[in-house]
Amino acid sequence: MRLARSPKLDALCGEYILGTLRGGARRRFEQVLRDDPLVAQRLRYWQMIMTPKFSNEVEVKPSPSVWKGLERELGLARHRPSLLSRISFWRGWAVASTAALAVVLGLTLLQPAPDTPALTPIARLAAAEPGVAGVSAALSEDGRTLALRAERPVQASAGQSFELWLIPAGGGAPLSMAVMTQLDASLRVPDALVGRLGKGAKLAISVEPPGGSPTGAPTGPVILMGEVGDG
Amino acid sequence: MLDDHEIKRLLLLTADRDAQAFERLYQRVAPLLLGIALRIVGRRELAEEVMHDAFVKIWNGAAHFDVFAERPVAWMVSIVRNRAIDLISSADVSRMQAFAADADVDAALEHFLGATPGAEDTVSEGQTNHSLHDCLKALKGSERQALALAYMHGLSHGELAERLQRPLGTVKAWVRRGLENLRSCVESCLEPR
Repeated sequence: MRLARSPKLDALCGEYILGTLRGGARRRFEQVLRDDPLVAQRLRYWQMIMTPKFSNEVEVKPSPSVWKGLERELGLARHRPSLLSRISFWRGWAVASTAALAVVLGLTLLQPAPDTPALTPIARLAAAEPGVAGVSAALSEDGRTLALRAERPVQASAGQSFELWLIPAGGGAPLSMAVMTQLDASLRVPDALVGRLGKGAKLAISVEPPGGSPTGAPTGPVILMGEVGDG
Repeated sequence: MLDDHEIKRLLLLTADRDAQAFERLYQRVAPLLLGIALRIVGRRELAEEVMHDAFVKIWNGAAHFDVFAERPVAWMVSIVRNRAIDLISSADVSRMQAFAADADVDAALEHFLGATPGAEDTVSEGQTNHSLHDCLKALKGSERQALALAYMHGLSHGELAERLQRPLGTVKAWVRRGLENLRSCVESCLEPR
């Protein structure tokens, strides 16, 4: 059974945080964390509610030799402050993800045409965790059909659904595109959103209650996100 | 007081190989992480070795950090605790004296957790800590002791059984039920009224 749906998931998250999950069991759990965004999401929830603020009394000042050792071993002097540190954080993040997307799109476009040639890849939605299945998005020529292909099949657990959002290129509130039970889907783009999947728009997938967000805005965690490139 | 947004920002810059951000991150979190490691391994030189290894892992693994995490420090705390636990499990280190000092586990836990929310906390952060605090107090003594010793000192199930002088199965059940009771208590406190 997939761990994401197993009744053992909460016990494993709890014992992982507590530190009583040891050896091979801990390594296996860490592997699943990298592979399954829903397991990662559950651990994130446990960390949110179970991580204390920690008293200042816990703190102990390290000897200067610890930092010196790190500087030496990691060769930190080679790494100048990045461009990103000089611009604001969210802007920086957007630049980084655009650059990463350009690389990914470049690779995607070099591959042989998919078996549905009418669709053009427009974005790759990535999760923060490496190893987590990404999703590629492709759009039909008329802009009315969007196909999502997950690198590995991912099904929503009972009591959850995935919701796909369009974040307009100029910013603004996310617009709901579809509610899905799995990440592999071909869907009809809502009429109002046809033509809005241009460069700079973003696609995001959040985890929501069955049937989708009750509020019309994402309420659950965003598990995947990507920016539309040149297509 | 650690600012989650600032920690997350520094971690993302570290992922971008910004050594200055990494240094600022170190200055911010190293004292807390050293304190956590020290409680597990019991000796300063070992704790500093744990810190070294953990920060190498943080630098090399920053790109794997979960950008959606609401408590970014939890990722680093896990790295440090796991490294510390691995070190003492592999080394033939008798740690009984290290945690025998905590004769009064409840008092030690109070020192560890930090105060109830201050004015500078956001409502949700303060509330989570406050609930965790209250819910730990509300647990059965046996469950609270097992969780506190495992979390603060990195005790395994076997070491807990030895320290609490109860059979392994009993201690495992305390841990399991303690975690479950703690979670449902915190959740019920956080539910909107």
